[in-house]
Amino acid sequence: MTPNRHGSAVIEFPSDLEILITREFDAPIALVFDVFTKPEHVRKHFAPFEEEVTVCSIDLRVGGDYHIVMVTADGIECSFRGTYLEVEPPTRTVQTWLFEGWPDAEAVESMELTETDGVTKLTYRLTFRDQAGRDHMSKYDGLLSSFDNVEDYVAQISR
Amino acid sequence: MAPTPVTSDVFNAIAAADRREVLDTLLAGEKAVGAIVNDLSMSQPQVSKHLRVLSEAGLVRCRVDGRRRLYRLEPAQLRPFHDWLAKYEQAWNARLDRVEDYLKELQQRGEQQ
Repeated sequence: MTPNRHGSAVIEFPSDLEILITREFDAPIALVFDVFTKPEHVRKHFAPFEEEVTVCSIDLRVGGDYHIVMVTADGIECSFRGTYLEVEPPTRTVQTWLFEGWPDAEAVESMELTETDGVTKLTYRLTFRDQAGRDHMSKYDGLLSSFDNVEDYVAQISR
Repeated sequence: MAPTPVTSDVFNAIAAADRREVLDTLLAGEKAVGAIVNDLSMSQPQVSKHLRVLSEAGLVRCRVDGRRRLYRLEPAQLRPFHDWLAKYEQAWNARLDRVEDYLKELQQRGEQQ
């Protein structure tokens, strides 16, 4: 049994407008590409927690649209859509990204894959068009969780 | 309590790993720039640059003691960002962990055929 790489995604912020996520998978590049671009696969992993994916249509060609909807356990619908700008299997796609909850937050997302010795590295980048869009990401709109211990949380973010 | 908006300054200030190290070393308490340089494998100009960014974002506060400039943490500014980042990181890790498990499942199925 190979150990898994759970929890190994690296999240970085290369500029004011960008979010960069990298993660490796022990699988060949062609399979990883399919898993991120074919609706029958995307359905299986798009929702991070207990949400249900109710719509997943992907027209994987330049100018083609995708639309993915997931519904959270408490019934909130999250709808994502966009249009493919570049499609280069099995290494790269670039597409516009629009979350219906933030209609002014236009962004472009790109996925790049590279394979070395059977390990495929995913580089995912989300680039907002302007600061107004990116500000959605950094505004905290949930309930403030209680914390008493300054050391705990600073240690966490300083990992 | 109303949700606290986070300025992008805080967001950017904390996004760099080096600056998180600077914050980390200030956990132990107030420190002079020289002491921070000693703690970390960074040059004095680097540390000063990071302190300036952190200071502008309100994450550290500086006071002058004779010829020394002493810095201390202002952790209250960090909380909303930390909560957001933790949630975001958790969601992405959960999704990509799911991709990994699913890839394993597909590969095992492929081998069995």
